[in-house]
Amino acid sequence: MRAARPRKPKSGAAGTTVVVLRLYIASSAPNSVRALANLEDICKKHLPGAFSLEIIDVLEFPKRALADGILVTPSLAKLSPSPAAKIVGDLSDRGGVLVALGIKQ
Amino acid sequence: MNPARALDLPKGGERLVNGRILRLVRSGPERRALDAGQVDAVLDAATGTACLLPAAERALSQAGGPFSNALLDALPREDYRRLLGELEAVTLTAGEVLYEPGARIREVYFPNDANVSLLIVMVDGKALEVGRVGREGMVGIALALGEETSAVRVLVQNSGGGLRMKASAFREAITRSLPLQRELHRYAYAKLIQARQTAACNRFHHVEGRLACWLLMTGDRARSERIHLTHAVLAATLGIRRVGVTNAATALQRRKLISYRRGSIRILDRKGLEAASCACYANIRKP
Repeated sequence: MRAARPRKPKSGAAGTTVVVLRLYIASSAPNSVRALANLEDICKKHLPGAFSLEIIDVLEFPKRALADGILVTPSLAKLSPSPAAKIVGDLSDRGGVLVALGIKQ
Repeated sequence: MNPARALDLPKGGERLVNGRILRLVRSGPERRALDAGQVDAVLDAATGTACLLPAAERALSQAGGPFSNALLDALPREDYRRLLGELEAVTLTAGEVLYEPGARIREVYFPNDANVSLLIVMVDGKALEVGRVGREGMVGIALALGEETSAVRVLVQNSGGGLRMKASAFREAITRSLPLQRELHRYAYAKLIQARQTAACNRFHHVEGRLACWLLMTGDRARSERIHLTHAVLAATLGIRRVGVTNAATALQRRKLISYRRGSIRILDRKGLEAASCACYANIRKP
């Protein structure tokens, strides 16, 4: 099995910046499921067609997560555009997530 | 071997577990998320492993693990992950009615260790079991066949965990996942076979064999040798009088195949019970 792969590769329209995200989860544990649902909702509403999301299950790939500097799950990493950002928790603080992703000032 | 390790220190271990987690996560946003109860697992760089927090471990264990529903388990992981955001872990409680006949199907269920009966309800209110669903399948398969309403009463027989999904999300998932479509069609066909077999069983087989078959199949789905239900429920499920259940259960108990006490049945001798069962168990045990 492959370690991980982009889940919803999306190409932005011409001139649109694609936000590259990586979500670290622990299988279907409650906070991980909530984080995924919250993130999907945020992407649907604020980044339609302009994001790429890779999901990594740390129960399967702990070393990959450690190599990426992840300490706990759920954690969301924004890889690009810069600045890079990391958000920890179930992503229920929507305002904070939008600011961290650079969607909101 | 799964590199994840459960933090299972049953006696006096909670403090040690928490102490270890706190040592791994001392400060920063990780610590704040931990304090807010928003963390499922902590990564331990010294061992290269992920450690589940007790609450996450309990939740995964209660649900039987992420892939404990066989229908979901059969999906490629990528397809399963696409469903993850739409699945909600729930506890299904014995006696709970998930759908009534004619009701619109608003949610579908993928049981883990819960056990569910599909009942045909007659005009006079009498009900007869025509199928059952456990970890091998799902409740709400009609949606996958384009039908919006339930033809049967769906009653939880044995409490347990499961995963729930909104009907709209389920329909969307079907359109975007070929493996899910395949599994659902395979399962729908298996249910058709089961219904045919059950119809013949109800007509031709004696009560003792049917009861043995029902107990075995229920135990298989619950992954347990202990089944909690009363004579009244059993009678309604098998479509017979309570005295018929009493006679059959007494006969099986006398042969030391089961024990029965106050709504709790325990399978004592599985091989013996299989021998006592009607042939339907062998025919439909692999749905």
